[in-house]
Amino acid sequence: MRILLVEDDPDLSRQLKLALADAGYAVDHAADGEEAQFLGETEPYDAVILDLGLPKVDGVSVLERWRRGSVATPVLILTARGAWSEKVAGFDAGADDYLTKPFHTEELLARLRALLRRSAGHAAPSLTCGGLRLDPRAARASVNGEPLRLTSLEYRLLHYMMMHQGRVIGRTELVEHLYDQDFDRDSNTIEVFIGRLRKKLGADRIETVRGLGYRLIPLEGETAG
Amino acid sequence: MLLGFRKRSLVRRLVLLAASWTLIVLLAAGAFLTAQFRDAAIRRFDQSLAVLTDDLYAGSAVEDGVLKAPFLTDIRATRAYSGRYWTIFAQRNGSLRAVERSRSLFDSDLMLSTAQVDRLTADPGKTQFFDMHGPQDKPLRAAAILARLPNYPDPVVFIAAEDRSPIDADADRFGRITIFALLLLGAGLILAIVVQVRFGLQPIFRLRREIADVRRGKAERLAGPYPVELEPLAEELNGLLAHNQEVVERQRTHVGNLAHALKTPLSVMLTEASQQGGSLAEVVERQAQTMREQVDHHLRRARAAARSQTSGERTPVEPILDELAVTLERIFQDKNDGRGVEIDWRCPEDLCFQGERQDFMELAGNVMENAGKWSKARIRAEAKPDGEGKMLLTVDDDGPGIPPEQRAQALKRGQRMDEHTPGTGLGLSIVDELARAYGGSVTLDDSPLGGLRVVLSLPRAEG
Repeated sequence: MRILLVEDDPDLSRQLKLALADAGYAVDHAADGEEAQFLGETEPYDAVILDLGLPKVDGVSVLERWRRGSVATPVLILTARGAWSEKVAGFDAGADDYLTKPFHTEELLARLRALLRRSAGHAAPSLTCGGLRLDPRAARASVNGEPLRLTSLEYRLLHYMMMHQGRVIGRTELVEHLYDQDFDRDSNTIEVFIGRLRKKLGADRIETVRGLGYRLIPLEGETAG
Repeated sequence: MLLGFRKRSLVRRLVLLAASWTLIVLLAAGAFLTAQFRDAAIRRFDQSLAVLTDDLYAGSAVEDGVLKAPFLTDIRATRAYSGRYWTIFAQRNGSLRAVERSRSLFDSDLMLSTAQVDRLTADPGKTQFFDMHGPQDKPLRAAAILARLPNYPDPVVFIAAEDRSPIDADADRFGRITIFALLLLGAGLILAIVVQVRFGLQPIFRLRREIADVRRGKAERLAGPYPVELEPLAEELNGLLAHNQEVVERQRTHVGNLAHALKTPLSVMLTEASQQGGSLAEVVERQAQTMREQVDHHLRRARAAARSQTSGERTPVEPILDELAVTLERIFQDKNDGRGVEIDWRCPEDLCFQGERQDFMELAGNVMENAGKWSKARIRAEAKPDGEGKMLLTVDDDGPGIPPEQRAQALKRGQRMDEHTPGTGLGLSIVDELARAYGGSVTLDDSPLGGLRVVLSLPRAEG
C-alpha cells in the first residue's frame, strides 16, 4: 500500500512517516501544496493524508484541484481547525475522512485502515440516466461528472428511481423502499424528499404524474454517462 | 403618551417654550380686544348722551328771567331712578345751583366735582364726558356742556347722564367670551405644537429604536434614510459599528490563529509520547490533553465575546442541516458494520436562525455528531419554529441514551461520559455554552427512537 503524507511540520512528518512505515505502508512525503498536488496527480497512491494548513497552496485547494482533475484517491484530512464549518468545507472539497489535531497516532492508523477498506473493490456496475450517474458500491452519485451531495435517504430514493427509470412510481411504493421499518410515514415525507432531490438534480429531472406518483426522466441534450 | 414627557425631554422643552409664547400672545390679544370693545361701546353711549345734552341746550328758553327746560318725552327721564337723568345748573359766584332737573332724579341732583366744573368752564360750548355716581350710588356716564343763554345773566350747565352698568356688563361678557375662545385656540395650538414636535422629532426616535435593535442583535447597522441633519450622525454610528466589528473580528482571528498554531506542536508531543512510553510520556500526554482542552475553551470564549457584540445575521437552517447530514453520514459510514448511520432530517425551507452561520453549524454539528457517536443506525433531526422569535432543533438517536440522573452531568464542561467513543466528550457542553450565549437552552430527554433526545431552543429570525 502506497501512501502520500502531506504535512509541513518536520517533527510531525517524521513521527507519522515512522508510524506509517511501522504499520507496513510505503510513504512518500510532501511538505508543501505544490509538491503535493504534483505527486498526487502523477503517482498512483492508495490513500493520501493531507494537512490543510500548507505553505504555497493550502490543502483544501489542493484537494479541489485533484478532484477536478479526477484524482479519485481517498483522502484523509488533518487539520488544527475543528469547527464544523471547516469540516463541512473539507468534505465539500472531496475529502473522505477528517481528523482534528491533536490526535493519537493509533486513531490515524485506524481511520486510514477503514479508508483503504472502503475504497477496495470499486468496480461495481454503475447506474446511469442521462448525465446522472450512480455508483452503488461507493454510494456516490454525480451529474455530468460533478459529484452530488446526498444523504443516505436521498441516495436510497434516487437509487430506487434509477432502477425503475422512465416508469411512474407511486408514493406508497417509494415510502416503502425509503424506510426499512414501519415508522415516520407521515403523508408528506415523499414530497419532502422529492423536493430535495429536485433541488440537487434540477427541477425538471423528476416529473410529477398527478394522482399516480413520480417518474425519473433522462434529459435530452446531456452527454450519456 | 402624547403628553406624558419626562423631565429633560427635548419634546418637553420645545413644547413648553412654544406654549408659553402662545399663551402670552393670546392673553395680550384678549386684553386688547376687550378694551377696544369697551371703548367702542362707551363712544356710542356718549353720542346718545351728547344728543340729549344738545336737546336740553337747544330747547331751553328764558321767560321773564326764568329758565324753562324743554318738554322731553323720553319716558325714562320721567320715572324715578329710571337710569336716565338730566339737570340744568346756573353758575353764580363759582357755585352751581340746580334750576331744572329730570323727574327721574326725584329729589337729588347730578353732582359735578370741582375738577369737572373747571374743565367745563375752561372750554365753554364744548361737550365734555365724565364718569360719576348718581342716585343710589349707581355708576353713571355723563355728558355736559356749559353755555350762555340769551337774556340770562349766568352761564348755564346742561348735563345728561345714564346708568352705565349695561355697557359694563356687555364689555365683561365680551371679555369672558373672548378669553374662553382664545384659551380654546391656545389649547388647540399647543396640541398642534405637541403633534408637530413629535412628528418632527420622529427621525430621532427612529434612530434610538434602530440603535437599540443593533444592540439587541436584531440589525447590524442603521438602515436610514435619515433627514440631512441626522444623516451624518447615522453614518458616523455605522462607521463606528463597522470599526468595532472589525476590531473584534481581528482579535478573534488572532486568538484563533494562536490556538490553531498550538495544535500541531501538541500533536507532535502526543505522538512522541505514545511512541516513547514511560512515566515522562504519561505526564506529557496528560499535560498535552489539558492544554488541548484549554485551547478549545479559550477559542470558544473568543468566539462568544465576538458574538455578544454583533449577531444581526440571519442564517437559513435548511442548507446547514443538509450539509451536516451529508458530512456526518460520511464520517460515520463505518459504523453499524459498515452500513453507516442514516440521518433523517426535516426543516421548513424558510426557517432562519438569528445568529451566525458558523455558530449554528457548531451547535447543530456537535449535537448531531454526539447522536452519531452513540447511535446504532439512525438519527432524526427536526427543526421547526417555536412561537415568537424562537426555534427548536430536536435531535434523536437510537443509541443507549443517558439515564435521567446523569443528564445534568453530560452538559458540564470537562465531563467525559464515555472514554471509548472517539472525541473529547465535550460536545454537549460546548453546545450548552454556545446556546446560553444566544439566550437559548439545551434539554436532554428520552427519545422515541430509544436513545437520547437533545432539544435545542434557539433564537429565530423573523420572516
